[in-house]
Amino acid sequence: MSALLRLLGIGLALLLAQAVARLALPVVVQPDLVLVYALALGLRGGGVQGLVLAFGAGYVEDVLCGGPPGLFALLCGTACATTRLLDRALYLRAAAPWASYVGAYALANFALFGAAQRMFAPDTAIAWSELLRRAPGAAITSALCAAPLLHLFRRLLVDADRDGSWPVLATQSPRGRP
Amino acid sequence: MSELLRRFRFALCYLALAALCALGMASRHGPAELGFAPKLVLDLTLPLERMVTLPISELRGVWDDYAALVGVRVENERLRDRLARAEEENHQYREAILSSERFQKLSGFRAQREVPMVPANVIHQDLSPWFQSLIIDQGAAAGIRPGMPVITDSGVVGLIAGTTPGASKVLLVVDPQSRIDAYVERTRARGTVRGTSGHDCDFDYVLRQENIEEGDLLLTSGLGTTYPKGLVVGRVATVDRKKSGLFLGAKVVPAVDFSRLEEVFVILEQRQIPGEDAFSSADEGLWPAAPGAAGAAAAARAAAKPQVAAKAAAKPAPKPLPKLVKPAPAPLPDHPQDPPE
Repeated sequence: MSALLRLLGIGLALLLAQAVARLALPVVVQPDLVLVYALALGLRGGGVQGLVLAFGAGYVEDVLCGGPPGLFALLCGTACATTRLLDRALYLRAAAPWASYVGAYALANFALFGAAQRMFAPDTAIAWSELLRRAPGAAITSALCAAPLLHLFRRLLVDADRDGSWPVLATQSPRGRP
Repeated sequence: MSELLRRFRFALCYLALAALCALGMASRHGPAELGFAPKLVLDLTLPLERMVTLPISELRGVWDDYAALVGVRVENERLRDRLARAEEENHQYREAILSSERFQKLSGFRAQREVPMVPANVIHQDLSPWFQSLIIDQGAAAGIRPGMPVITDSGVVGLIAGTTPGASKVLLVVDPQSRIDAYVERTRARGTVRGTSGHDCDFDYVLRQENIEEGDLLLTSGLGTTYPKGLVVGRVATVDRKKSGLFLGAKVVPAVDFSRLEEVFVILEQRQIPGEDAFSSADEGLWPAAPGAAGAAAAARAAAKPQVAAKAAAKPAPKPLPKLVKPAPAPLPDHPQDPPE
């Protein structure tokens, strides 16, 4: 339970940090911290709870912005599910591979964003050229933020990780557990 | 079966939630009251966010006011020149307005109407860089309804996209979902101002042969149901006369600087598309109105503004005029999303 509360607290803190970044940074280098959070929730053991939290984080972002309701929830949920799939193939628990993965996924997320808009809410669609203009900078800053955030997640969730009550971002292999 | 469900629990859960999101996106139809869940999220997150972002905004204000004063002297001189020119133009405009008022009184078409407005503070900027919206600290409790226009003294800000009792979401002019029917003040050339999610807008559906230039002022045309006529939308920044096609392309810089917006006004008046009975129920205008309908409309406005209440009470109900031959109402063009044929 405390691990769940901590994860909720981290999500809220990242949401606030994103609001500050929106005020303080130019639009082409604003990191997508909520996406990083959703990706982290998909790491080994996140399970259905992680997925629901990722959708929830996206939903809060939907409410706080003017986009079509459900767009960011869908993107965050997809990010979580994709990470869960790829986590078995890629070693994502070290800082460098994790940051590279977040950067690459942030780029792919721009394509998903444009595609989802055109598919479900075409009247809100943003031009591909605009997406391409903003994608590289945002992907790089998201990747730069991802490594320290992973470290922060692990520190905050180390107890829950040890007793297995919320094995998100597990530092030990599941095989080693009883 | 249960084993199968347990095995594919994650995939099934993802599919169900994704389908909900897709349905949410696809079923959205314009501005509406916010539901319970969005209201709860706003009530929980906005105070926290305000606590965090307010110091940042204040710091930015200090920086803008004190640290970034390089070149102020040159700018001051330039502004003085502009002010002198603007005062001269203002004098000419006043003369023109006086002439226009006299003419309108003579022809009897002038609508003596005060528009009730509610001032509101901006308490939140859009979290995503892709959409352009604001949240203001006045909501349904102050009489604000979805679809009402939001303005400042500089021009049009946008329209109310959703409300809670204590807050409202404002869709800005620069949002990609925004469409405003506008015309060029100098030449009356009409088109549609469309947001691009950046800092500027596109001016679409302007015929190629129209005469528009950089710096031309754009005003709302009053067509459709949202914006009254004559509000400043922005200025034409660039004009692209394509070699082929029916329309030219133009970029518009909005009149309002959205990054520094702190206070706005919501116009508490929702315009209706005239229906079959609109000609007989309009309280002001060309067509005869029933005294009861006029009184009800005046009372609705009066509820929003006490000063208006006094004037409305003092104003006698219009006498029913002799019945006129009612022309078939022409369909009002709304904000076009497709090019006219």
